[in-house]
Amino acid sequence: MAPPLDLTNLPDADVVALARKGRESAFRELIRRYERPVFSLIFRMVRDRETAEDLAQDTFIKVLNHLDKYRPEFRLSSWLFKIANNVAIDHLRKRQIETVSIDGSPHAATAAEVEATSFDVVARQESALEELEARELGTAIERAIAALRPEYRACILLRHVEGRSYEEIAATLDLPLGTVKTYIHRARHQLREALGGERE
Amino acid sequence: MEHRHLLPDEIDLLVDGEEGFGVAPLRAHVEHCAQCSTELARQRRLVGALERLPHLEPSPLFAYRVMSQVQVFEPWYVTALDSLQRFVPRSRPAKVLAGVSAGIVCVTLTLATLWIGSRLDVAVFFLNVLVQRIQSGAAALAGSLVTSILGQGAADTLLASGVMGVTLAATGLLLTILLAAVLLRAVATAAHRRRS
Repeated sequence: MAPPLDLTNLPDADVVALARKGRESAFRELIRRYERPVFSLIFRMVRDRETAEDLAQDTFIKVLNHLDKYRPEFRLSSWLFKIANNVAIDHLRKRQIETVSIDGSPHAATAAEVEATSFDVVARQESALEELEARELGTAIERAIAALRPEYRACILLRHVEGRSYEEIAATLDLPLGTVKTYIHRARHQLREALGGERE
Repeated sequence: MEHRHLLPDEIDLLVDGEEGFGVAPLRAHVEHCAQCSTELARQRRLVGALERLPHLEPSPLFAYRVMSQVQVFEPWYVTALDSLQRFVPRSRPAKVLAGVSAGIVCVTLTLATLWIGSRLDVAVFFLNVLVQRIQSGAAALAGSLVTSILGQGAADTLLASGVMGVTLAATGLLLTILLAAVLLRAVATAAHRRRS
């Protein structure tokens, strides 16, 4: 068995190299470094703790099982955020489709058919987990972020929570630099509007 | 610049802390314009609030759940190196001793190889003896196998048929084994399909 390594001070590229050599501790170190940023990004995108955990898990599994495709000239975190954003956006799109079906079949021609194919979401008592979520994402600014379009949300979170440059965000989200700047500008504007009546 | 307020993009430049030739006049304007100064302060407060947002923590079992679905594969050369490292002593004197011993072994083996190379005729002679011994041993083993399975008569017939006969018999045996394996596999596949 290989002697235990101290990985905490190694750069990402070196930890990835060790993971490629089959060192389990290197995989764990990568998870330790990025579980919180990745989970935070996804949680703020989907606003459901359980779903966010599942999606963050998918993100890590995708990345860690394909480390052989990682190119050291790019930041590992950018790759992680790219996958995280993609899984979150995919989930939001799917959820949007499901939400429509709750309101009734899109093929319903009459009001009676709409009523027949729709169902009510039963009000549930708030669980301890939901209380936790409400506490975590319940501040005015979190609510204002939640009201943004998903594309704006991803950009503003990467810019100001993760401290990424415009260029990095453009590379991470596969968007033109100008689009990223526009999204962030509009997101800030909408946030200011939303927080207008409250102390920012 | 003195005659108009800053555009939203220009405020963004100041909020992002951009440096450069075009930013100095914007800063100068903000110092004298109360409206732009207020707008910039509001933007900075918003950005400050965003930057103070904490990272949220997944459940404590998160890493465990991820690792249970990650394939950790150790390449053969890493395994080989690890195995070698297990034999390397930890302490320095022991390492020196092991190094000297390995050196002596290497030198001895090299000298032995060189000696064998210089006496190639002797090496060839011993090699021939070895090959003959192996051949006669294999033939005796095959003969006793055939005798015990097919009887003395079949063994005598096989020996009488010469090299050609032995080759044909061996080929026939191999083909029979191969055919049996293919048939068994076909039967197993058919049974598996029926079950599923």
